[in-house]
Amino acid sequence: MTPSPGASDVDVAMDFGPIRLKNPLMTASGCFAYGQQFAGFMDLRELGGLSTKGISPAPRFGNPLPRIYETASGMLNSIGLENVGTKVFLEEKLPFLNELDISVWVNFFGTDFESYVDCARTLGAGRDRGVSALEMNISCPNIKKGGIEFGTVPEVAHRLTKACAEVTDVPIVVKLTPNVADIVGMAQAVYEAGAAGVSLINTITGMAIDARKRRPRLATTYGGLSGPAIKPVALRMVHQVHAALPDLPICGMGGIYSGEDALEFLMAGASCVQVGTANFAEPPAALRVLAELKVLLASLGFARAEEAVGSLESIPPEPEYRGEGDG
Amino acid sequence: MHAQFPVQVSANEALTGGYFRLTLDAGKPVATEHTRPGQFVMLRGPWGRDLLNGRAFSVLEVLDAGRFSVLAKVFGRGTGLMQAMEPGDEMSCLGPLGNGFPAVDAAVTSLLVAGGVGLPPLHLYARVAAREGAAEAVEMIYGGRTRDDLVLTEDLEAWKVPRVMTTEDGSRGVEGRVTAPLVERLDRAAARGESVRILSCGPTPMLRAVRTLALERGVEAFLCLEEQMACGYGVCLGCAVPVHGARPYAYCCTEGPVFSAREVRWA
Repeated sequence: MTPSPGASDVDVAMDFGPIRLKNPLMTASGCFAYGQQFAGFMDLRELGGLSTKGISPAPRFGNPLPRIYETASGMLNSIGLENVGTKVFLEEKLPFLNELDISVWVNFFGTDFESYVDCARTLGAGRDRGVSALEMNISCPNIKKGGIEFGTVPEVAHRLTKACAEVTDVPIVVKLTPNVADIVGMAQAVYEAGAAGVSLINTITGMAIDARKRRPRLATTYGGLSGPAIKPVALRMVHQVHAALPDLPICGMGGIYSGEDALEFLMAGASCVQVGTANFAEPPAALRVLAELKVLLASLGFARAEEAVGSLESIPPEPEYRGEGDG
Repeated sequence: MHAQFPVQVSANEALTGGYFRLTLDAGKPVATEHTRPGQFVMLRGPWGRDLLNGRAFSVLEVLDAGRFSVLAKVFGRGTGLMQAMEPGDEMSCLGPLGNGFPAVDAAVTSLLVAGGVGLPPLHLYARVAAREGAAEAVEMIYGGRTRDDLVLTEDLEAWKVPRVMTTEDGSRGVEGRVTAPLVERLDRAAARGESVRILSCGPTPMLRAVRTLALERGVEAFLCLEEQMACGYGVCLGCAVPVHGARPYAYCCTEGPVFSAREVRWA
């Protein structure tokens, strides 16, 4: 797409609750490491923000292999939340991010209630060193509760969010798992607990099988599905949560590969979006998506990206059906 | 610092055994010019929202500053689409990535043990050795199921690289697998007090056998591995390789794809 006149005039700055973004394009956790690898491919300062690899209190080494498998229009992963831990993150990774002058969301998780709160407290101390938000991943199994995910029981997610929000001044954005029956109930639970916003959606649990070997394709059998295959589910959840909780800021993600994908998320109710899987094949994908989004917004008559948020209109109803002989 | 650049298919040549050689041209000098044997590129065609990730290919030949080739065989849908590519078709290329084999060393004989689609890095190694006037410092042991699986062997002849071919059906060279001539060669080296090392690439069962042999005999060996890989540059963390050391896993893309046989944590 070549920029049409007007694309550069579109105001793309966006408010995500208390967080000011220079534009709505971010990169997603687990698909951007800690940012440094991308500096050779793109000017990171042009991003609205980024979400780091999920950080836990102690470093984690990750799962046995195979860890990934490509599926129709998507990929499954079971990396195992491998990360450097809070100490190395704050000392060795954060200084690079702090220099970028973009919104840095530090994704984090724990393995039990206490370690979530510890992690939020420790990472929250990075506020004056560039941490803009803590993106809480509640899709992790609670080891003490027999592996039930924190993100599937609204009361648990509420308590966890509240406890984390109480130990830090950094806004907490809760990344919700789509593997629930009632996404609105989950969003409401964390919103009422003090979440500054929600990220929608994490990966959808799936599996793939090698029939010839009679084995699962991933060492852990199940993994998280990402990529264009999950975009319709993500859009639906963003739309449902925005319709029910219009004041709750939403960061949308799930299979975004183009400016048009990003605009669809804004129209559904997202105030910003994250590009994830697309980064693997095209490291600067988020900046291409941003350029395309600007062109598209201009061509559709939007002067400000904010005007697009929740701008979806419904399909007009059909005239009422009347059976033969009724009139 | 890595680079991603567009390339055009300049030739797609069918070889025997279902193999094909894809020659790619960036039309200008690109980073692949300085590829070391064992390094790889991530290639992806204009495949839209399907086949999302690039496919990793070890570089076969560096033809000039902007041209290089890869060797492939239809394995899944991505390689199926690549086999059907024609001159002028476009792909994106990221690379060269990873670390290559140790440089050619005239003081030690490198036994290049290649199996099937594992030929490219060792073929390139032999080419580099020949170009450096050190063809006698490498010996190729190259195996396939049948003679059709042995490709580009005329290059080895032209470079005067000593070579042993094996086929499982005996249709060319020694009947059997690469391990038999390798054992023979290691015995000979031991008897002569000759300094040798093994560089190997091929199917995992072959690499496991080569590794076991090397460890039993205390011969230094380097294995070029292949793992499922989404990015190729250290971000997706999909291509973990079990290793011994400070961490239980290393990444095939950034720390490999060449690993020391001792380092790899295989049963």
